[in-house]
Amino acid sequence: MMDQIAEQISLIGQRIPKPDGAAKVLGRTQYINDMVLHRMLIGKILRTDRVHARILRLDISKAAALPGVHAVITGDDTPMIGIGVNKDNPPLKSGTVRCIRDEIAAVAAETEAIADQALALIEVEYEDLPAVFDPAEALEDSAPQLHEDKPGNVGLSYNISYGDIAAGEAESDVVLDETYDLHYVTHCCMGPGCVLAEFDAMGKLTIYSQTQYPYNFKMDLAPTLGIHPGDIRVIQPPVGGAFGSKLDVYPFEPICAFLAQKTRRPVKLVFSREEEFIASPTRQPVRAHIRAGAKKDGTLTFRDVNCLLNNGGYTSWGATVPYVMMRTFSGHFRVPNVEFKSTAVYTNNPFAGSFRGYGNVQATYVTATLMDKMAEAVGMNPIAFRLKNAQEPGEVTPQGSLLKDCALADCITIAAEKTDFLKIYAANAKVETGRYRRGIGIATSLHNAGGAKIHKSDGCGTILTMDDYARVTLITGASEIGQGIDAVITQIVAEELGVPMASITIVNDDSAIGPWDVGVHASRTTFIAGNGARRAAIKAKAQILAAASKEANVPAEEMELRGGHVVQSDNGVSIIRLDRLLRAMHFAGEDAELVMVTDYYEPPSEPEGDNHYGDMSAAYAHAAYVAEVEVDTMTGHVRVEKMTVVQDVGRVVNGLGIEGQIEGGIAMSIGYGLTEDLRIEKGIVKNPSFRDYKVATAPEMPEIAYHFIENDTPEGPFGAKGIAELPAIVPAPAIANAVYNAIGVRFDNPPITPEKVARALHGGQDGGDQ
Amino acid sequence: MADIQYQAPEDLAAASALLAGAGGKARILAGGTDLLVQMKFDVVEPTLLIDIKNIAETRTIAEEDGGFRVGAAVPGAELGEDAALAAAWPGVVEAAELIGSTQVQGRASLGGNLCNASPAADSVPAMIAAGAVARVIGPDGQRDVAVEDIATGPGKTSLASGEIVASIFLPKRPANSGDAYLRFIPRTEMDIAVVGVGISLSLDGDGVCTAARVGLGAVAPTALLVDAAADALIGSKLDEAAMDNLAAAVSAACSPIDDKRGTVEFRTDIAGVLARRVASIAFTRAGK
Repeated sequence: MMDQIAEQISLIGQRIPKPDGAAKVLGRTQYINDMVLHRMLIGKILRTDRVHARILRLDISKAAALPGVHAVITGDDTPMIGIGVNKDNPPLKSGTVRCIRDEIAAVAAETEAIADQALALIEVEYEDLPAVFDPAEALEDSAPQLHEDKPGNVGLSYNISYGDIAAGEAESDVVLDETYDLHYVTHCCMGPGCVLAEFDAMGKLTIYSQTQYPYNFKMDLAPTLGIHPGDIRVIQPPVGGAFGSKLDVYPFEPICAFLAQKTRRPVKLVFSREEEFIASPTRQPVRAHIRAGAKKDGTLTFRDVNCLLNNGGYTSWGATVPYVMMRTFSGHFRVPNVEFKSTAVYTNNPFAGSFRGYGNVQATYVTATLMDKMAEAVGMNPIAFRLKNAQEPGEVTPQGSLLKDCALADCITIAAEKTDFLKIYAANAKVETGRYRRGIGIATSLHNAGGAKIHKSDGCGTILTMDDYARVTLITGASEIGQGIDAVITQIVAEELGVPMASITIVNDDSAIGPWDVGVHASRTTFIAGNGARRAAIKAKAQILAAASKEANVPAEEMELRGGHVVQSDNGVSIIRLDRLLRAMHFAGEDAELVMVTDYYEPPSEPEGDNHYGDMSAAYAHAAYVAEVEVDTMTGHVRVEKMTVVQDVGRVVNGLGIEGQIEGGIAMSIGYGLTEDLRIEKGIVKNPSFRDYKVATAPEMPEIAYHFIENDTPEGPFGAKGIAELPAIVPAPAIANAVYNAIGVRFDNPPITPEKVARALHGGQDGGDQ
Repeated sequence: MADIQYQAPEDLAAASALLAGAGGKARILAGGTDLLVQMKFDVVEPTLLIDIKNIAETRTIAEEDGGFRVGAAVPGAELGEDAALAAAWPGVVEAAELIGSTQVQGRASLGGNLCNASPAADSVPAMIAAGAVARVIGPDGQRDVAVEDIATGPGKTSLASGEIVASIFLPKRPANSGDAYLRFIPRTEMDIAVVGVGISLSLDGDGVCTAARVGLGAVAPTALLVDAAADALIGSKLDEAAMDNLAAAVSAACSPIDDKRGTVEFRTDIAGVLARRVASIAFTRAGK
C-alpha cells in the first residue's frame, strides 16, 4: 500500500506527435469529402463567365427537367441577403454579376455527373458592363460603380494618426519615399472547399463544415438563410487545411443549405481544385506607399503610410487586414510620428479573405525591407540600425500595445550572433562577379501572441469531465484545423492532473456540445484555449484533492496528483489511486459527486476603441529570421539555403508542434516571396492549378536552425505565447533583404521570380521594380 | 465522362486495328501520366483506351546495330536502371528522368512524352539532339520517323489513323561523343519547362567538334531541331566565340509565346544561357 510514485517528467516542452497524425498518415481520416449520408445528393454551383455583367436571361428549365436532378436554384429563389463583412454578397447573385467567381445558380442531383450535366443545360444571356480592375482607377469619378450603396467604390477605410508627421519630417536627415505592390496569393489548402448540409424534419439545420469559427459562423450564416442561429448545429469533421480561409461564411455554404432545404435531403458540395483557386478567398493584395524618415544617428522619425487595397467584387475579411497592418507600421520599432491610411476599393476582381498573418505579411514585407533601405541611407548596418530603434520591455506602442516582455533586441542580437551576420553581410556585399552570389538578410516583426480582442469577447469555453476509470474528456470551444491544439491541450491537462496523455479525449467538433469560442485565428488558440484547459484542470484537481482529503484525512494542500494517484507531496507516497477515488466520489450516496467542471477564459486585454487604441492582446511576441540565399545570376533563380529562426515563444509547449508550425510558415513565406503568384488579369484567374500556381515544395525548403526565446510570459499557459503566424510573416522580407545583399537589387513587387531577377541583372527593359 | 472501353492487346497489329477501327475516339494508354489527367479535366473524351503495356516490344530495351531500341512504354525509372543505355545516352536518360515525381517515373515513358506532343516535353529535345528515330506501326505496316517530325503542334502529331509509336531507336554513337539536357523551371523539381535544351556532339582527337545536334523545347509550337545552333559548334573547340554564336542561334530560333510560365523576352534570354551550359556538359562528357 505504501507505493511511492516517482516524480513525473514535465510534459511541457516535450516533443508530442499530433494525436490525429496516425489516422491521417494511414489514410483513415474521414473528411467531409469522404462522407456519405443516407439519401444524400450532390450539389454543384454554376458560376458566371463574366467579370461585370447584367443577367438578361437565366433559363434553368432544361436543367430542372433532367432526370436525377432534384433542385435547381437561382438568386430569384433565395433571399438577396448579403454575407461577408459588408453584407454585400448574396449567396446567389441575381441581376448583376461583379466578378468571375459569382454564383448564379446551383443544382442538387443524384450524382456528380448528373449535376455537371445539369449545369451545362442552364442557359444564361448577359449584357456586359464596363469593368474596372485597378483600385486607383476604380476611385476615379468615371469608374463603373459596383454597388449602389457604396458610392465611389469605397469598401472600407481605416485611418490612424499619432504625433506630427511634419515635425517628424522636419527633424529627419533622410527621407525615403517607396511604393510596394503586394500581390495575390491563395491558401492552397490540400483539402478543397466542401460542405454537407441537412435539415431535419423539424426544420433545424445540421451543417458539416470546415469552418474555423463554428460559433460565430452560426450567427453569420443564419440571416441569409432566414433561420434562427440557434437552429444551426455545426459539426466539424477534420479539415485539410484552413490558414484563415475558413474564417467567414462563403456563398457555397448557404447555397448548399438552400439545396438541402429545398430537396429535404442531405446535400454535399465539394469544390474542384480549379474552383478552389478561383472561388476561395485570396490574401489581400496591397499597394503601399510609404514615406519614412530617420536622423543621421539612426533614430526613426516618422512613418506616413497610404495603402490601396483591391477589394474585388465583395467584402470579406481581406478588406479589414489594415487592423493588423497598422499595428506593425505604428508599433514595430519605436516610431514617434505615424500616420496610416488605407482604402479598400471595389473592383471586378475576385476578393480576399483572412489568411495566416492577416495583413502583417504585407506590412512586414514593407517595414522589414524599408528598415534595410533606411539603414543603408543613414550609413548603418542592418543590425545596429534595428537595435537603435528596438523597444525596451515595458514600452507602449502608439496604439497602446504594452510590450511588457519585449524581446525584440534579444531576437536581433541572437540572430546576428548565431549567423555571424555582420561578417557574412559585409563579405557578400563585396562580391560583384561570379555566376552564383550569396546573400544574407534579416527581417523582424511583431504580432499579437495572447489573443486579439476584435470581438466583444476573445474567450474560450472549456468543459472537463472524468469518468469512473479516471479517463478525462476535455470539451473545448477551440477548433482543431491542423494547427495542433489537440496535442497542446492534452499535454496541459495531463500535466495538471498527473494522468497519462492517452487517458485524455478531446472533443471539439460539435457546436451542440462545445462551449463558445471566438474561433481559430490571431495565433490565439494555445494561449486562450490552453489557458482555459489549464484552468479547468486546476478546478478539477481542487475538487479531487478536496474529496481525497475527506477520504484520507490529509490536508488537501499536502497532496498532489501524480502518475494516476493522489500522493503525499513531501514523499510521493500514494494515498489512493485516482480511479478508485473517483468511484468513491461517484458512489457516495447522498454526497455523490462527479468531476465535471467548466471554465470560460477571457484574456485580460482591451477591445480597440474607435480610434484603434487599446492593449488588444494579453501578450505580444517578436521574431527575427535570417535568410541565407544563393542567386544564380544567369537564370535569376534564388535558392534559400538556410533560415535561422529566433522567436519569442514564451515557453515551448510541444516541441514537434512548434517546429511544424514554423516549417509550414517558412514554406508559405518562401512561396509568397519567391514562387507563388495568383495571376489575375482583367478579373480572370489565369493559373487555377497546382501546375501553374507554384507553391514551394520540399526541395525549396532550406535548412532551418531554431532558437527559441523562453521567458514565460506571465499570463500564458505555462508561460506560452501564440506563435503560429510570425513564421509565415517574417521569412519573405528576410529573403528579399538577402537577395539585395547578393546582387544589389531591391524587389518591392514580390514574388522575386527568376524572370524578375534575370531582367534586373541582364539589363532588360526594367530591372526588378526600379 | 462517357462510358469507356478498355482493351489491352498483346501485339501491335491488334492494337493498330483497334485504333483504326475506333474512328478517332480511341487513345493509346502507355504510362497514362498525361492521358489520365487530360481525361479527368475533359480535355480528351475517348470511348476506347488501348493499353499497349501488354505488348512486349513496347516494354523492352534492346541493343540493336550498336544503338538502343527503347520500347515506347518503358517507364523512366527503367531507363535509368539500364547502365549501358545511361552510359551511352546520359542526356536522353536525364531528360526522361526529369519528368514528374518518383511515382510518375514508374509510369511515364518516352513514347508517351513524344506522342502527347507538348512543346514543353522534357525528353523530346534530348531525343531530337540524339537523332532518335521513332518506329511507327500502322495498318499499312511500319515506317521509321525522325522524332522531330512526330509533333506538328501542341497536342497534334503526324501519326495517321491507326498508327502507334512502338519504339524509339537511339543510334550508335561515335567515339568521343556526349549529350546533355537541361531545362529551366521556376522551382527546383516537379515543374514544367519554361525552356529546355538538349545537345549531342562528337569530337575528334584534338577536341574539335565534328558533329552536333541541338534540340530546343518550350519556345515554339513544337520542340525544334536547330541546325544553325549546331553549325555554331561544329569546327570549334567550344571556345567563347562558338558559345556566343550558339547562344545567339538558339535565341534566334525561339518563337515562344508570352504566357503564365514566362515572357518571350525571358524565354529567349534563358534559352541562350541554357544552351551554353548544356553544350559545355556535353563537351565534357564527350572528352571522357
